[in-house]
Amino acid sequence: MFAYLVKRLISGALVLTLVSMAIFLLFWYGPSSPAQTICDRETSNRCGNRIEIYERTLGFDNPVHEEYLKWAKGVFVGRDIQIASTTYECDAPCLGVSYLTKQPVSEELVERLPATVSVAIGGAFLYLLFGIPIGVAAARRRGSVADKALVSSFLFLSSIPYYLFALLTWLYLTVLWEAPFVSDTGYFPITENPAKWFGGMFLAWVALGIFGCTQYTRYSRGSMVEALSEDYIRTARAKGLPERTVVYKHGLRAALVPVVTIFGIDFGTLLAGTIFTERIFDINGIGFWSLQAVQAKDLPVVAATALFSAVLLIISNLIVDVIYSVLDPRVRLS
Amino acid sequence: MKRNKPLALVAGVALLSLAACGGGGDDSSSSGSGSDRSFGEQTGGTKDAKRQGPAAEVDGATAGGTVTVYLPGDPGPNSLDPTDGWSVTGNSIQQALTHRSLTQYVRDSETGDPVLVPDLATDLGTANEDYTEWTFTIRDDATWEDGKPVTAEEVAFGMQRSLDADTFPSGPGTEYSKQYFLDGDSYGGPYTDKGKKYDGITVNGQDVTIKMATPFPDMDYWGAFMAMGPAPLGNASKPPNYGQDPLSNGPYMIEDFQPNQELTLVKNEQWDPNSDPGRHQYVDKWVFKFNQDQAKVDQIMLSDNTDSQTAISTALGSDKYTEANDALGDRLVQQTSQCVSTLTPDYTKITDINVRKALAYAYPYEDVWFATGEVPGVTRIPANSVMPPGMAGKKDFQVDGEQITYNPEKAKELLAEAGEEGYEITMVYYEVDPLAVAGQKQITKGFEEAGFKVKAIPVQVSPYDIWLDPDNKTNKQLNLRGVNWCSDWPAGSTMLPPLLKTDAVYNTAQFSEDAIDQKMKDIATLPLDEQGDAWGALDEEIMTDYFPIIPTAFRNDLFVFGSKIGNPTGDGALGAPNYKDVFVMQ
Amino acid sequence: MSQPTAPETLGSLTDETPVDPNSKASQEIAGKSPLRIAAGRLLKDKIAMACAFVILFFILIAIFAGVISDFFGVNTDTQSPSQFLDVLNGGMPKPEYGPPNGGFTMDHPFGIAPRSADDNLAYWLYGARTSLMIATGATLFATIVGIVVGLLAGFLGGVVDRVLSFFVDTFLTVPFILAALTIAPILNERFNDSDNYPTIQKFSLVAVLALFGWMGMARLIRGEVLSLREREFVQAARVLGMPTSRILFKELMPNLAAPIIISVSLMLPAFVAAEAGLAFLGIGVTDGASWGRTISFATTYFEQYPLYLWEPLIGVVLLVLSLNLLGDAIRDALDPKTRR
Repeated sequence: MFAYLVKRLISGALVLTLVSMAIFLLFWYGPSSPAQTICDRETSNRCGNRIEIYERTLGFDNPVHEEYLKWAKGVFVGRDIQIASTTYECDAPCLGVSYLTKQPVSEELVERLPATVSVAIGGAFLYLLFGIPIGVAAARRRGSVADKALVSSFLFLSSIPYYLFALLTWLYLTVLWEAPFVSDTGYFPITENPAKWFGGMFLAWVALGIFGCTQYTRYSRGSMVEALSEDYIRTARAKGLPERTVVYKHGLRAALVPVVTIFGIDFGTLLAGTIFTERIFDINGIGFWSLQAVQAKDLPVVAATALFSAVLLIISNLIVDVIYSVLDPRVRLS
Repeated sequence: MKRNKPLALVAGVALLSLAACGGGGDDSSSSGSGSDRSFGEQTGGTKDAKRQGPAAEVDGATAGGTVTVYLPGDPGPNSLDPTDGWSVTGNSIQQALTHRSLTQYVRDSETGDPVLVPDLATDLGTANEDYTEWTFTIRDDATWEDGKPVTAEEVAFGMQRSLDADTFPSGPGTEYSKQYFLDGDSYGGPYTDKGKKYDGITVNGQDVTIKMATPFPDMDYWGAFMAMGPAPLGNASKPPNYGQDPLSNGPYMIEDFQPNQELTLVKNEQWDPNSDPGRHQYVDKWVFKFNQDQAKVDQIMLSDNTDSQTAISTALGSDKYTEANDALGDRLVQQTSQCVSTLTPDYTKITDINVRKALAYAYPYEDVWFATGEVPGVTRIPANSVMPPGMAGKKDFQVDGEQITYNPEKAKELLAEAGEEGYEITMVYYEVDPLAVAGQKQITKGFEEAGFKVKAIPVQVSPYDIWLDPDNKTNKQLNLRGVNWCSDWPAGSTMLPPLLKTDAVYNTAQFSEDAIDQKMKDIATLPLDEQGDAWGALDEEIMTDYFPIIPTAFRNDLFVFGSKIGNPTGDGALGAPNYKDVFVMQ
Repeated sequence: MSQPTAPETLGSLTDETPVDPNSKASQEIAGKSPLRIAAGRLLKDKIAMACAFVILFFILIAIFAGVISDFFGVNTDTQSPSQFLDVLNGGMPKPEYGPPNGGFTMDHPFGIAPRSADDNLAYWLYGARTSLMIATGATLFATIVGIVVGLLAGFLGGVVDRVLSFFVDTFLTVPFILAALTIAPILNERFNDSDNYPTIQKFSLVAVLALFGWMGMARLIRGEVLSLREREFVQAARVLGMPTSRILFKELMPNLAAPIIISVSLMLPAFVAAEAGLAFLGIGVTDGASWGRTISFATTYFEQYPLYLWEPLIGVVLLVLSLNLLGDAIRDALDPKTRR
């Protein structure tokens, strides 16, 4: 187990290194210099020869590998970043300084995390809240009209591109019908006004939840059907245990294992920022931030958000595998 | 939801209006066709050197409340350093609420005209005979947000900072202080030329005296820029960190500033109403939200929900204009902004005036306005020359006897006359903004119908990045560029020279005629009351004789005020909502 | 187990009778190849057939977009908005040119767009072409890359497998939208003064989509190959001294047909959706017709002119939905064990 963890962690670190290098190179050899963007912005497009100052201080005239090492070192021990005449302090873990706000990226990331976490927790909660009970219910009534109707309608729903579903939800509920309570979507800190936080998030959760739960219904129905056909269920029934106990205690427990694994990965993805959800519902989280950063060519922010989501994916994958091995004794990690 | 205008899109069609706008000279009014609404006009442009604090109370004003200002598609300033401020958005907010300078504009409540009144100075300054030396007496009762008095030394230091073009390359000082102040071209400013003594500005007690290199009769207008205000001495105001949280001396101070996102201002308890002839402190708190989505803001403002009742929007989407016009009444304010949009044919490449005129006839004005989301006749009106309406000396002439409109036949004739049928035009458009793409399609279509060939290069950066960079590879191919310009104060000197003087930064036409350069110089030496007409005449001369620039539109703004905002008016001096006199109805 | 196991495929929603494995019918079909059996099942699946017809309809539209728009007398040329739009009415089309304020006209059967006065029908038809072209192109590339990587990794094993699997993992951790958002503008900027810029733009989009779409296929193929490699007929071929390439293409490929078909049928709708999604975010096709682009314009006019939004939206949803449902049906048909 320990050896497995170490192995996974090493390969995860390797992947991260590769991803960060790729992002670095992408900007480095992109046709328009990132220094140009920041120089234009700071001089209101009177950059001219000053581009040299920016390129020099930002290190764009050094070999790319040197700069990459500098950047990588900063992640662990922090560093000072100079842009033109000013030096910005950037503590570890230093992911650079935003070209736009001049704030250390890691600090801003932490600032925006609550919004994204709010979306992720609410959405993921609804995945499970809708997905598992419906799936289990359908599994118990397998083959019935209700089951068929549910399966086909959820299949239909999940075949629609998600962002169009979210867009329509927003357009109808917020714009056209001006539904009370959800009329102002967005992130409001829960500490300031919990009701407003809830109202602002509600629609995003519902859109995410309804759309995402279709998948969970499928999974939990499938694995429940499988679990209910296992021998030990038959044994339990034969023992004369009440049907509730059979289904919920013995069946559900086994059926949840695969669902948990998928959930772990989905939750990691949600935490990395949901670009469409955040953009459509105007939530100022990490996904929306990354979208803005790409458009503003804010290199450090793009690199940081991409890395952040890669880290989350790797970690959630790892956790899921570990949990899986704990829940299901048949699985051995090696 | 952010829809059409993610961050990078904002600089697209609206491009950027660089300069703050001044109030106008003679009376001329314009009203939007297709609407019975009249504009907040920029007329009058009077001065009142005697005005003293406190500012006259606004009728029915009550104190308290929070005002939220939505700025759709406007990224706001990157820095709040007063010396750096040269944008309509930043200056209109800071000059009205947080940062004082030598002089300021107030809105005359009767006529709606901007009036130039004293601010930190006790009057509008006194100049010597030939306007080469100005003296301002700094009042002794103004304070910083930390309670310390604003001293004459600090004002002088602030003004010296405006000479530091390397540190503040986009500040207005690069245009005015550097050009007019004594040794402005050789002195690098307090940061670049550290320790070097500057003799142009001297302090004597409460008096600050500025020596000029050339006569500068407009110093009192220039004094209304916050760049002509105080800065704490020494490291306290060291750029660029100072720009994130500058010390305030107006009725409000900065609580929080996140560039491109949000600016929160709260009451500055140290501000003394008696020391300020122009500002009020009715509202408790201001929240400015930059980069908002136009459609979303429109929807909020039209819904009149609790949030929008105390909100202001600085723009209105064209699709909502009719609805808003019917529903909002006085709460929809139309304000002329003394800005002109232009196309600039490269004077060194397109040498035939007939080709330049053919371009003017080939430009499908209304179609472009529609396609780029403007309201023809309301937010864009046809333009005849560079100087916007309402400016002193503005002449109501037409180059060809009548307003140039889209007329491909006429353009073809002109091209034939020049022997340049099938002339190839190379231009750029901002591909990231769908509206800019749509606008370019209209331009291409119009030009092609008029017998031009068009090569339109899509770019991912603001076109200004290309146009203003002489070394840019793409720029070298271009023979048609553009620029949007607003006046800094109501004088032709802030319109014509920046756009048409040889080697001026924004002279994207590369226009260069020695005779015109000389005339621009000469006008500055004329008696003050003759200057306006002289600029007007020069405007006409340039357009008639050279036609170096194609004015495509004069620009107007639409402001939407929430139903509980008292005194919904526009600020004619800056082309922004009148933040100074607004209050929340209790 | 007491309950009879109903075939829980979409097919079961139709009136296909379950086949008892021991019955005569089952004995008869035993001689057919799996693909033929699957085809037979699909043909009986009404929903799958309906989807196939919808898809065929869109394919025909895509191919004959030019002919159809000529037939209706519409085109994607730039129009003069001042002629068609009503400044007094929020820039909406004048009533005589169709909805939302007037009735439908034959000149512009789908109406015209606000702001640009473009013809909606022409843009819709060409949007279908863009959508299908890009999705097909991306699927093609991603499939080829995926198959090659999967075959190599699975068949050669060892170091090659480890290295390739590592790359698969790496690509899987890169957030797709973010990567596409970053790469597409860079590619576009490189070619922005080229004369056939719109074409290059489409190619770069195909490249970006394929670059982040091949991993699923590679994993699937690798897994299949790993298990096939140990099967008798492959071992036998090896012992007989068959060259590797022959083993790959003659022995392995036919057995991989089913997973590849399934994978492709699910990749297509994903790419159609992705193309429209990126265009909605402002990336991808900026020069020309694209449903996603129209959708992003139309959200602003949703209240006054819902039809403008619904036209491209129905296009995307119908196409993606049909492709997805058909893909599902194909999967069920090919894999009798599938349980949902």
